[in-house]
Amino acid sequence: MSSSLLSAQEKEAAVRRNNPEWHLRGDNRLGFRSRRLPGLAAGILVAILLAAVASTTLLGSVRAGSPDHVPSNVAWTAATVAEASGGNAFRGLLLARRCEHCHGSEGFSPVGSTPNLAGMDKLAIWKQLEDFRDGKRSSPVMVPIAQSLSPRDVADLVAYYAALPIYPDPQDNRVFPEQNAQAGHSPIAFRLVAFGEGSRGIPPCQACHGPVGYKVGAPSLATQNADYVLNQLDAFADGSRANDINQPMRTIAALLSENEREALAAYYGAGLGLQPVGASGIAPKQ
Amino acid sequence: MNWRKAKLIILTVLILCLIPATRYYQIDQPVMRWLQGPNRVNPADLHLAGEFVENNLGTQQDPDGSVTVRLIAQQYLFVPHCVLVPAGVPVHVRITSADAVHTFALLGTQYAVKALPGTITEAELRFADAGDYTASCAEFCGAGHFEMRSELKVVPREQFPALGPGKRGGCATQ
Ligand code: HEC
Ligand code: HEC
Ligand SMILES: [Cu+2]
Repeated sequence: MSSSLLSAQEKEAAVRRNNPEWHLRGDNRLGFRSRRLPGLAAGILVAILLAAVASTTLLGSVRAGSPDHVPSNVAWTAATVAEASGGNAFRGLLLARRCEHCHGSEGFSPVGSTPNLAGMDKLAIWKQLEDFRDGKRSSPVMVPIAQSLSPRDVADLVAYYAALPIYPDPQDNRVFPEQNAQAGHSPIAFRLVAFGEGSRGIPPCQACHGPVGYKVGAPSLATQNADYVLNQLDAFADGSRANDINQPMRTIAALLSENEREALAAYYGAGLGLQPVGASGIAPKQ
Repeated sequence: MNWRKAKLIILTVLILCLIPATRYYQIDQPVMRWLQGPNRVNPADLHLAGEFVENNLGTQQDPDGSVTVRLIAQQYLFVPHCVLVPAGVPVHVRITSADAVHTFALLGTQYAVKALPGTITEAELRFADAGDYTASCAEFCGAGHFEMRSELKVVPREQFPALGPGKRGGCATQ
């Protein structure tokens, strides 16, 4: 009779008093009261949510004033890489008829200021087409062309151009550009490609453009046209091309003298970039 | 010693053994990120939004007279390539990496700040006098590591340009 007059808490307190080892028994084995666990878990969840909200709002309010300058809408996430490398090269071959008279039927352009696309890195071509489309890289010719392509067209064209060979195949009679290794060789270019220049903070070109190492989105320059390379270096240096993510090329090109840019363009235009040079490679013959 | 105590000790030892395992398999990463609060970033999209967009890099004047310098370390450059700071005030560095682990080490000083992909490293530097320093990467990061160098210029406080709100300083604004 008396027990029915006790509240739940009082009942429990009485049980504990009578059983000094209450916390070692049954569902209370570890000393916590299982009834409190859901409350505790909910509390932790709410705290995590609050902290997450607080941190995002704090991040958002770091800067006031000027709008963000975004060089390119491309970010190298796994999804982007998958999209850029998932094209169909055969469909690309058909679409590439639109590009032929400027970029050449085998991806080697007849005009020096138009880039060769043969064998270019997939991610690099894809990024440039995206940037043309978004207006992040300006070109009166390429912007409207890129804007007329669907995302699927872009991926297919990328697959096609990336698959084109950069070496002549003895089995066929395709014309590859003449390469004059003598004309391109200069100690200035050789030094910058192989070693960069530590005292000015210029890393070696071959560490990002290959063949020693590749930075994501950095195209191989080994079969690029000299005029085009020079135009791009000048454009990076004066900021008229500003679509490189985190500004590596704008920084490097601005550190190079006009003379050095010309030497580098001639070096790559002559196909010398195919071989690794310096400590990690073979020095070209004098 | 009774069996219950022994069980408790064994359990504790097992849990302690798990701690290095969580580090090794990086199970703790989300928790670490959460604990680090706002100091976490996605190294792939620093340029799209947030603290490390292009026009927020460089030196910012804080209301209390100190300055904050934001830098990105990447293979194989520090951006911005030349940093300008005033002498005699606290310089709060906030640096992150877009790829590998780098270290922003100022040659001839005791300062070296590690840059990690995914987190922002904070450090407070002080320069008593004006002077030019070379910052060099002190964490091997690949083929261009040895050329990964940039400049830090310390100018007398009066010579540091007054930056407008939202404006960031660099060697070009000098
Ligand atoms: C009318 C001539 C013309 C046509 C047609 C043309 N392009 Fe271009 N393309 C150019 C020029 C010129 C440039 C260099 C722009 C510059 O100097 O910034 C260029 C640049 C590019 C680039 C950047 C390459 C690099 O190394 O950064 C890509 C990629 C490209 N074009 C793809 C295409 C594709 C794909 C097509 C067909 C759908 C196409 N182009 C059609 C003239 C053309
Ligand atoms: C830190 C890595 C890095 C180094 C070192 C580097 N580049 Fe680049 N370069 C890039 C990246 C990344 C791009 C692609 C930019 C973009 O996304 O638009 C690029 C683009 C270029 C382009 C334009 C290519 C095209 O097809 O549009 C040229 C030309 C170029 N670099 C020349 C050079 C030369 C010459 C050197 C050596 C002095 C050099 N780069 C060193 C990273 C680097
Ligand atoms: Cu480094």
